[in-house]
Amino acid sequence: MDSFELYVRNGLELRGIDVDDKDIAVMRAADAVYGPAIRSLMEADLGSAAPEIPLDPGSPPREAGEP
Amino acid sequence: MTHPQDLSLRDQAAGVASGELDPGEVLAATLARIEERDGQLRSVPSVFPEESQRMLAEAPRGPLHGVPIAVKDMFRLPWRGPRDGTPREQLPPGESAAYRRLKEAGAVVVGVTNMHFWGAGSTGHVSAYGPVGNPWDPSRCGGGSSGGSAAAVGARLVAGAVGVDGGGSIRLPAAYCGITGLKCTFGVVPLQGYTHEFASMDAAGPMCRDAADTRLLGETLAGRQLPASDGSALRVGIVREPFWTDLGPEVERASEEALENTGWTLQEVELDGAEHAQIAAVARLTLEALHTIDDEHLADADPIMRALVKYERLLPAELLVRADLIRAKLRRALAGLFQRCDVIAWPTVPAPAPPIEAPVVELPSGHYPADAANVRQSGFGNLAGIPGINVPVGLHSAGVPIGLQLQAGWGEEAVLLDAAEHVERVTERAYVDALPPLAGMPA
Repeated sequence: MDSFELYVRNGLELRGIDVDDKDIAVMRAADAVYGPAIRSLMEADLGSAAPEIPLDPGSPPREAGEP
Repeated sequence: MTHPQDLSLRDQAAGVASGELDPGEVLAATLARIEERDGQLRSVPSVFPEESQRMLAEAPRGPLHGVPIAVKDMFRLPWRGPRDGTPREQLPPGESAAYRRLKEAGAVVVGVTNMHFWGAGSTGHVSAYGPVGNPWDPSRCGGGSSGGSAAAVGARLVAGAVGVDGGGSIRLPAAYCGITGLKCTFGVVPLQGYTHEFASMDAAGPMCRDAADTRLLGETLAGRQLPASDGSALRVGIVREPFWTDLGPEVERASEEALENTGWTLQEVELDGAEHAQIAAVARLTLEALHTIDDEHLADADPIMRALVKYERLLPAELLVRADLIRAKLRRALAGLFQRCDVIAWPTVPAPAPPIEAPVVELPSGHYPADAANVRQSGFGNLAGIPGINVPVGLHSAGVPIGLQLQAGWGEEAVLLDAAEHVERVTERAYVDALPPLAGMPA
């Protein structure tokens, strides 16, 4: 059992969710597609990125101090 | 005599208003055409002969008086709860805001359109009502999640349909089926009475054959005028990385040619954070919907979707925080960019509609699930909240359409429609007027 399968099985067991070999195969395929981008975002340096609060997706972002 | 569904939406509306068309006959002919043509497409799983007659009898003399419209199966209707591509109602019947706007415009809701299960895919091949076929080749995907709306318009079953776009779900199927699909700015079309009302990515919009029809239906849905202007002198930003990379060669060529022929001022621009837009969009889309999926919902899903939900449940919380930081970064960069550009442009999908049996696309770097490739092109607009439109610009050697995506600043739907009309002019309407084989069948 590799680290991916260990993580999946243990993680889902902790949440009380059943998992079988077919699930693992699908999740492995999904991780092959999305995993590299997920890990890249998790490792990205976002220290200087400021959150947008409040977020209104229907309008341009407000500048700091703007009402 | 011309079948009413071979007329544009605006010609149907004008014909009914002038008395040249009898709206009762238009409705009957529309229902008959759906019955005749939809077998291979599965785009309109339910029609409403009685309810649409009642709507027509009570319809006010609005801009769409007596015009049949199909609605994606995510909105509450007074006689039907939306099903979201699943076998059961997800909300009780009622009046959604989109329904109310159609009713007030005098439109007639003739049926609901098929969609990808839960709205969770760009191919439309997973649905409790069967896979959505493409009017250009029914063995290929009609797209998703608003695939039924796109296929129904493309096949001339209706001239206008309502879609919703949470990660490309209007623009992507519009590209697959060769129609014009406008994702409005977030919030422009109220989502009250919609199955994913909680979502921060989703925006409804019109799906029609060309920009003028899209403007007409868009004005109804948006509840405001979208005045037409000259779209021939726009400043267009070309964001090469990542949106013009790893594209199917024919898609890239058709999109480049369409842009070159517009005479627009094209400028290469960069967007800080764009390299993470795809995964940020996927994280937002999936994680903000997870809380709605319970055991009953899961029981309806196929084994692959059930396994994917389990995968999503293990994604780290920090991923969502990081996705939102990327979202903020992109939105700020865009606000600056739209000071210099009127629109930004790239291909709507990197490769044309794949076969229903194997919804995988071939790109220069390899084969990918269509969903992963498509959301790279479209999820950006949902993160930002900006409007976007698909404009048909070519026909692939596989026999299915190619679409160009244009996006503008918040609230600038009219600019996109002007731009789309300009593309139609320079292409001599070759692609918006092209008839798919299915729509070329004798009535």
